[in-house]
Amino acid sequence: MGIKGLNAIISEQVPGAIRKSEIKHFFGRKVAIDASMSLYQFLIAVRQQDGVQLASETGETTSHLMGIFYRTLRMIDNGIKPCYVFDGKPPVLKAHELAKRSTRRADTEKKLEEAIEEAEKLKHERRLVKVLPEHNDEAKKLLGLMGIPYIVAPCEAEAQCAELAKAGKVYAAASEDMDTLCYRTPFLLRHLTFSEAKKEPIQEINVEMVLEGLNLTIEQFIDLGIMLGCDYCESIRGVGPVTALKLIKEHKSLENIVAFIESGESNAKWKIPENWAYKEARDLFLKPDVLDASDINLKWTEPQEDALVEFMVKEKGFNEERVRTGIQRLRKGLKTGVQGRLDGFFKVRPKTQEQLATAAASAKAAKKKAPKGKVGKNKR
Amino acid sequence: MLEAKFEEASLFKKVIDSFKDCVQLVNFNCSEHGIAAQAVDDSRVLLVSLSIGTESFQDFRCDRNVTLGADLSSLSKILRCGNNNDNLTLIADDTPDSLLLLFEDTKKDRISEYSLKLMDIDADFLDIEGMQYDTTITMPSAEFAKVVRDLNQLSDSLNILVTKDTVKFVAEGDIGSGSVIVKPHTDMDKPDDSVKVELDKPVDLTFGSKYLLDIIKGAGLSNQITIKLSSETPALFEFGLQSGYLQFFLAPKFNEEE
Repeated sequence: MGIKGLNAIISEQVPGAIRKSEIKHFFGRKVAIDASMSLYQFLIAVRQQDGVQLASETGETTSHLMGIFYRTLRMIDNGIKPCYVFDGKPPVLKAHELAKRSTRRADTEKKLEEAIEEAEKLKHERRLVKVLPEHNDEAKKLLGLMGIPYIVAPCEAEAQCAELAKAGKVYAAASEDMDTLCYRTPFLLRHLTFSEAKKEPIQEINVEMVLEGLNLTIEQFIDLGIMLGCDYCESIRGVGPVTALKLIKEHKSLENIVAFIESGESNAKWKIPENWAYKEARDLFLKPDVLDASDINLKWTEPQEDALVEFMVKEKGFNEERVRTGIQRLRKGLKTGVQGRLDGFFKVRPKTQEQLATAAASAKAAKKKAPKGKVGKNKR
Repeated sequence: MLEAKFEEASLFKKVIDSFKDCVQLVNFNCSEHGIAAQAVDDSRVLLVSLSIGTESFQDFRCDRNVTLGADLSSLSKILRCGNNNDNLTLIADDTPDSLLLLFEDTKKDRISEYSLKLMDIDADFLDIEGMQYDTTITMPSAEFAKVVRDLNQLSDSLNILVTKDTVKFVAEGDIGSGSVIVKPHTDMDKPDDSVKVELDKPVDLTFGSKYLLDIIKGAGLSNQITIKLSSETPALFEFGLQSGYLQFFLAPKFNEEE
């Protein structure tokens, strides 16, 4: 899941590319949310105080519905228009990773049986959480009734989210998964579906700034991601984040890095995996299997009150009053007009020679190299 | 070297207080023409543009252009330490790490000195000049502030409709609706109470009330406010200074078409 250490690299090398802001600043934005990942998050995090998943009277889990319903409302209250994207079939290359995950599951299952202590049991139980097809179907049904659009991606949901953002159908892709950056979504929002109580600010990562700041092309950035370890293939053993960044800057592509390591001039500890499918993995990021965004029409519609109450209250045992106030909130959010932003109207003025000169001077004074075309670094 | 002396600290205090709640980090660009600043709020809906001309100062000297990056909440803390009718002098060297604020009480011969740490702020500068507007309204700023505050009680958006001889402010909310109509008139005795409308094209625009509430904090700077509007473009709200201005550019709300 995700690319290890990428976040650390970005926040160290290009801190300006990550902006943290409160959820209210995103009003009026449409976002595409990686639903499969959110569901997983809800199944793990939305629990009772004793750590047991929420369930209806018949014992069916309802954590995911609770999560989808209330976290969506939170976004709607803040003027955000979400749309959810579900995973389709996993790509063939992911089979390896998935196999690894199921062995891990088997392991954990065994540990769960052996575990005696309650806390230990809970820990293993959480690791066993899996989004089942029923969870997906119920989530889709709920979203449909709420009038929130959703899409089933042909393949990976993150890729589809990025495609929607690239085409301007939505402002950003929302996922915790740093993989999403490799699909070149203009913006990635993290922590969007977190609970209000966590008070976690939303991280907005500007991909173009990341590329510019690291001075990498998107292909090189993907190669970096592959070296750090993505879901599609193994990484080079012995190469950590720092070395990976150095290697890609020096050798420009994985082809050259492989040649460099095979030439034997490099660190002997580095081992390239056998039949390494890095080229295929890179292609998956560059040309993912997605629905063309121009064929997708996102529409937010009136919630179907009666059907929603029928499903949530009668079938799933939610409190009727709360569901009804939730519906009111949905209606209200739908009604308010969209707040425009200044960006479309005013052009950013290029920095004058003078400003560049003062920037260089102040950067020198601060003994820091200022990124090209920027007035210093934000010390916040 | 920058040395800018205000006869009364209250002017600078008022200016800063008028926009410290909508933006936090601001670069003040000082040149021989005075002090200018531009900043956009975090949601990128409201832009503040400030220009204090040299005439507003008792003494003004700026040998080389300097940029002072300041956190407004810190700056305003320091400004609160001075008395309103103290002389206030801003002092900075050519590559400053901090800004010196000197308050002088001329009667009591008391001098207080504060220094504010500056920061490098990476901010884009937006080109806001050369916009064409369909309508220009000039009205007493206190009256505009009252309209905004009153109608804010009803709704979180305020609709402004301008036709040939009326300016109509409308708010529709859950509890009911309200509207205020202002007509152009000229007050010979008190020209500041006049309302003037120049209209090329009628406009109908809706704005978020919370931003308007931020804007009217500038009402203390000037008796009159100038509002420039065009369909589907950011509106300009301007408070004049003795020399210079404080401008707010606010993006309107749209009703989304299907």
